[in-house]
Amino acid sequence: MPERAASSNAYLLVPIILIAVLVGTAVIRGPALVSPSGLGSAIIVAAPLILATYALMVLAVAGRGTVDLAVGPLLAFINVVVVKLSTAGLLTSPIATFIVAIGLGMAYQLLFALIVIWVRVQPIIVALSGFLALTGINLVILPRPGGVAPEFMSGWGLGTTIFSPILLILVLATLGWYVFTTTSFYQNLKMMGYDERAAWTSGIQTEIVRIGAHLIAGIYVGLGAICYTALISSGDPTQGQNMTLTAVTALVLGGVALSGGRGGVTGALLGAVSLWLIGYVLSTFNFGAIQAFMTQMIYGLVLVVSLLLTLLVPVIARRVSFVSPGAAFLVLGLVVVGIMMQVATADIYAAVPPAAVEAPLAARYFLIEPVRIATEGGGISRVQALSLLGALAALAFVVAARLIDAEAGARRMGLFLYVFIAVLTLGLFLAVAIQPDAQIFGGSR
Amino acid sequence: MSENATNALRTSLLPIPRSALVLWINIALTVILAAIGLGVGFAQEGLPAQQVILYTLVIAALFLVTANYVTVVFETRSEWQAATTADEAEAQGARSRKVWRENRILVLAMAALLLLYLLLTAAIPEFRSIKNLIAFLVLELILLFAFKVSGYFASGRSAFIGLIVLGALIVISAFSIEGFLSGPNIKAILLFAAFLGIASVGQTMVALLGGLDLSIPFVIGSSNIALLFLITLGVPTGVAFAFILILGGVVGLINGLVSFRLQGQALIVTLGTGFAVAGFTQIMTSIGSQFAGNVFGTVPRWLSNLAAMNGRFFGLALPPTIIIWIVIAIVVIVGLRTTAWGRNLYALGGNRRSAALIGISEFRYWVGCYVISGVFAALAGSLLLGWSGGAFIGVGDPYLFTTLAAVVIGGTSLLGGNGGYGFTVIGVLVLQVLTSFLLGIGLEYEWQQFIFGLLILPMVALYGRSPHIRATV
Repeated sequence: MPERAASSNAYLLVPIILIAVLVGTAVIRGPALVSPSGLGSAIIVAAPLILATYALMVLAVAGRGTVDLAVGPLLAFINVVVVKLSTAGLLTSPIATFIVAIGLGMAYQLLFALIVIWVRVQPIIVALSGFLALTGINLVILPRPGGVAPEFMSGWGLGTTIFSPILLILVLATLGWYVFTTTSFYQNLKMMGYDERAAWTSGIQTEIVRIGAHLIAGIYVGLGAICYTALISSGDPTQGQNMTLTAVTALVLGGVALSGGRGGVTGALLGAVSLWLIGYVLSTFNFGAIQAFMTQMIYGLVLVVSLLLTLLVPVIARRVSFVSPGAAFLVLGLVVVGIMMQVATADIYAAVPPAAVEAPLAARYFLIEPVRIATEGGGISRVQALSLLGALAALAFVVAARLIDAEAGARRMGLFLYVFIAVLTLGLFLAVAIQPDAQIFGGSR
Repeated sequence: MSENATNALRTSLLPIPRSALVLWINIALTVILAAIGLGVGFAQEGLPAQQVILYTLVIAALFLVTANYVTVVFETRSEWQAATTADEAEAQGARSRKVWRENRILVLAMAALLLLYLLLTAAIPEFRSIKNLIAFLVLELILLFAFKVSGYFASGRSAFIGLIVLGALIVISAFSIEGFLSGPNIKAILLFAAFLGIASVGQTMVALLGGLDLSIPFVIGSSNIALLFLITLGVPTGVAFAFILILGGVVGLINGLVSFRLQGQALIVTLGTGFAVAGFTQIMTSIGSQFAGNVFGTVPRWLSNLAAMNGRFFGLALPPTIIIWIVIAIVVIVGLRTTAWGRNLYALGGNRRSAALIGISEFRYWVGCYVISGVFAALAGSLLLGWSGGAFIGVGDPYLFTTLAAVVIGGTSLLGGNGGYGFTVIGVLVLQVLTSFLLGIGLEYEWQQFIFGLLILPMVALYGRSPHIRATV
């Protein structure tokens, strides 16, 4: 992330701020999120959306205003085909399932690319056509939700632990993109998305690049369909439209430009997770009968507002050139991790009845004895106070370093960020080590 | 030499082989065939003698002509091959390549249609009937016709093709479905076409500027429940109706204002406002009600008369909605063609920069189009309330992509500047007649969706292709 600060990645600022606010709210409103089962199920529920957003992101980067509206129906299509085959007993081995799912995704996307290249119709029309056709054929294959997923997936969708195969798929998909960005094919893809004519003139074989982008998108859709099948462990032909709408929303929330040439898994991931978090946060409020409508309205408003905020990004990037997305991510990440630790560990101390305070005034307010003061809200332990202070110090340090950096005219923070993250990680382990009973992120509550 | 031979071959009705021996062999074969035919014919009991003789004569004549023709072809081909030099072979190749290049789309489209027909025949047993076969052949023929003749039209190709398809659909439906051309069915088609047509007015206008409006279905659903809600509150129905139209305009205004700076992402912006509007309306109508999201009430008589199937228009047994749609269509078509406002809209859609140079405010037209879109979506939603007699937020859902499909099939370019409401009317009619046809042959909703999806692509491929990139550099 520490590339040319403030300019190339400035579009990530909006999603980063959004996700920080959302995670903070989510953890405070629903502490159950910060536990192995909470995080595990969160990953499994969000995985299909994240992968579908990745697929849309690749196509959006390829330019020509490609928004594959058919991504949801395609995901549902692969889902119902896999379930249908598995119910018939034809599909049992994991390898065959992956081949079928990814193969179907790639085949559809290849067809899409060939139509766009040879028939030369606008991609949005091909997508619309695919949306209607796939929605129809899904209902023909599986008229109503049902069927059974392949046997080996049965344990995947439980979400009792963080480290599930789903997480592995997600991590591999994300890392795969980062590896891909180092290739010259990616450079060609970005250039084609930004200005196809220039790319063509400079000798890039745009047809091949476009087909490649679609094939990558097909792989992502196939993986997403596998995660979706594992999540619902049956087939559902009806969720395609919703999936498309949420994935497109996530894409935009993540700051990916629909005009092409700009975007990456970082933004897409942030967008998809934010979208999932919005749903989570809203579900912790009790709106009674109007819950669903409230969710719908907030989705819409967040979408419009975050789009409007992207208009401000160039302005912000010009004014405060020292705010790089990387630094913003660090600062906000620190705050959020602090909140998470507080929430995860608060209960342990809340269980301890506050000691009666008989000490003289000075002793009480200088925190000599006892450690905890009986206040109305939650008190904090010494370790927590220490880590809080440490975090504040780190915050101040980052901001100061960044300011100095900016004053010196340097365009990147370079090594500093890596060293800083390493120190922070060490500090976190240290905090856990000092406090063996704290059960950070754990807790059988 | 070879030219003459082929010319002779083409012009003569009764080809005569040059070699007399072959001619006599042919005649002998014909006589034998005729004898066999006569024998077989009379051997069967109960066939009238005249019929047997007639058929035998016809078959014999046909056989004679065909045999002679084949002989002539074989005779001339050897001469042809001898006369063809390497150069000519090349020219021949180039010509056939040219023919292929000019006709490949047609060939591919016809092959695709054939494939679709075979698939359907294989998949659905009820589909295998002689009527469907005839219908399929007619469709192929009309496709051929549309391709070969539409090339002579400088503009309005899409409208021509649309009309051809419409005519084909009506012809096919008329003789493969009983009662297709009956009064009630035509009335139903026109009524649903009217709803879709009214909802597509705004989509067309916005598309002329190069935008998209996906908030239409949500506005339809919202105005549907909000109107009934206002009526049950005791607001005079006329006032409520007008108020809903104004609210629709306000939503359109918001759409326009928000999406003006985000024109490339109009799709997403309008989707967002659509979500927000639908959610907001449901929250508002749920307040103080125990049925969240549902509004119960009675629809006033005049409103149901306006849109219901048995509605009457000044004594005519025709729902007034159809008349309203026709009036709107005429006003919009004429308005877009003749008024300064309409011409400026086309100018803006065609080229922003040159339009700005002659002093057209992009902002005002962009927002104006979205306001119109909102108002017409609200009108469609209100009329749908009269049709169904009960409010339902999901009533707009089918219109999410259908309005877009109608615009696209009609031939209005989504890039802006090209098309018009007249095209959309054709698109709407094609969609509705097709729906009625598919329902008539017993296909379920999901098959209809599938066929709609497959239909859009070839329709657009006929006229909406962008130039190859090498033509734009």
